[in-house]
Amino acid sequence: MTALLVLAVLATLLGGTVLAALMDRAALPLAALLTRQRVETEAPDRMNRDLSSAWYLALAAIGLSVVPFAPGLALIDSPVGIVIWGSCEALVVVTVFLHGWSPNAPFPLIGAYRYAAIGLPIMLPSMFVLIAAALPAESLSLIDIVESQREIWNVLRQPLGLPLFLVVALAMTLRGPMDYADAADIATGTSAEESGAARALWQVARLAMLVSISAIAATVFLGGPLGPVLPGPVWLWLKTAALMALTVWIGNRVARTTPDRMLTILWVVLLPLSFLGLIIAGVMAL
Amino acid sequence: MTLTIVLLAAAALIGIGLYGALSQQSFVMLMMGLELMLNGALLAVVGFWSQSLGGMPEGQLMAIIVMAVMAVEMAIGFALIVAVYRKRQADMTESIGTLKQ
Amino acid sequence: MIALLALFAVWTGWRVFRVDSMVRASFALMLSFVSVGAIGVLLSAPYIGVATVFMMAVEMMVMAIFMVMFMMNPAGLNPMVMVHQHRLSIAAGVLAFVGLSAAILLSPLPSDPVPEGSDVVAQLGHELLGPSMLVFETAGVTLLATMVGAVILSSRQGWFGAADHGSRPPDLTAGGDPAGRQPGDGGGHGHHHHGGH
Repeated sequence: MTALLVLAVLATLLGGTVLAALMDRAALPLAALLTRQRVETEAPDRMNRDLSSAWYLALAAIGLSVVPFAPGLALIDSPVGIVIWGSCEALVVVTVFLHGWSPNAPFPLIGAYRYAAIGLPIMLPSMFVLIAAALPAESLSLIDIVESQREIWNVLRQPLGLPLFLVVALAMTLRGPMDYADAADIATGTSAEESGAARALWQVARLAMLVSISAIAATVFLGGPLGPVLPGPVWLWLKTAALMALTVWIGNRVARTTPDRMLTILWVVLLPLSFLGLIIAGVMAL
Repeated sequence: MTLTIVLLAAAALIGIGLYGALSQQSFVMLMMGLELMLNGALLAVVGFWSQSLGGMPEGQLMAIIVMAVMAVEMAIGFALIVAVYRKRQADMTESIGTLKQ
Repeated sequence: MIALLALFAVWTGWRVFRVDSMVRASFALMLSFVSVGAIGVLLSAPYIGVATVFMMAVEMMVMAIFMVMFMMNPAGLNPMVMVHQHRLSIAAGVLAFVGLSAAILLSPLPSDPVPEGSDVVAQLGHELLGPSMLVFETAGVTLLATMVGAVILSSRQGWFGAADHGSRPPDLTAGGDPAGRQPGDGGGHGHHHHGGH
């Protein structure tokens, strides 16, 4: 069973990444990158430069492995699944920061610090909406959260949850309005000094994280593997793919604002909104 | 046996943290020493709870308190660093030999 | 496994004060916390362990942001040794370790592990919002006070004028010229050298 689940996680990650690359037309020239020469910067931190993409990918894999593929069946069947995902999110911020810091060059460093400043406040709404989703389930386990959605999905029960979590998804995958790390206005930021296979791997890791966070969102807000007729994993894949498409679409549609204005939006609008959602969910769960 | 290993590691972390807190000149590094000592304390609490309290929930509560202490230490510590920097433009312990204006 | 993680936690803890840059130092500290969290998970405290990882990843990121504010070398890839009272500190650290180890090795440690299959996370929740509610709420109020205190301490505007009013950098040498930005400069000019005095 465990082997099958490992296979399911890996297959989902791989298939999802390919699908994400197809949805995200900007990611298509990935293959062309492979033939390019590597760029060297002065006195880089070699370990983090070479490994940050791998860590990003590993975090996507860990995040996906707490997702139940059928009711009651997840690779990491932990009573605190949602906190494990929260740790993955926090470590993504660290990884993106290290990715920008390690080349020892100006644009990547600007991207890294900008992203750290945006990524930290986004943790709070993220955790609030996830805890709000855990309240009706009376458990931090994603399996129980899926079970609690048998009658009504969380997206209807807590209408604030999914939109806020999509903002988190945009930030975690460095996409569109929340892309303060790799944006074009600072010459692709943390990836500015990267070329060739290393850059392609970083893009792949971003796409894999899109799969992972969409699967989490599908589990927490759309009932995950629950659904009629079709088997559990298929429902999960369909919902994940739909959320991936939605995230990519929003990322392409919404403009990015300046970091300071985004900070104000995060602290003054999104954080109180998520807190409101938590209070309402708490009162309803009483 | 497990408990001994865990507690020895906790003791080592506290020792290293104490060394850091006493020896570092930069405020940020000094705070890392304090954090490391709290890390040792957390490890010891978790070890004791897991191996010798028979699963008493108060042990976990203790660990939560240690984490709250970490958060308080961190927030007030950095706020103090900001306050001192505004007044003295200093980020090293040697620069604040006096508390006078 | 636990022994390996414990060794790793101690080694990364040691690296914190041995690496060249503060970024490396803070992420070495984060690794130390992560391995302590992993030990927690192995010692059947899943919530405490995972929450430690979560909290410390965020906290070390905050450290990194503060470093760019206060370090002379924000990228932090240049060599760095900044220590004082070095021998005393080593002695204190070794003494603390030896004393604590002696206490650990010489005292009989009770053995009463967590029962198999007990739902520790739910137990913790019931404890927090049950018998120990007062402790938990006190911690909550303390954290609120911390937030207020931190905002007040770090705020620039104050009751008696701006916090950096008349701020003068410390002297480079005893009684010598002040380092860095001068009060009248207004700042923002980056490195302003005051040679030729």
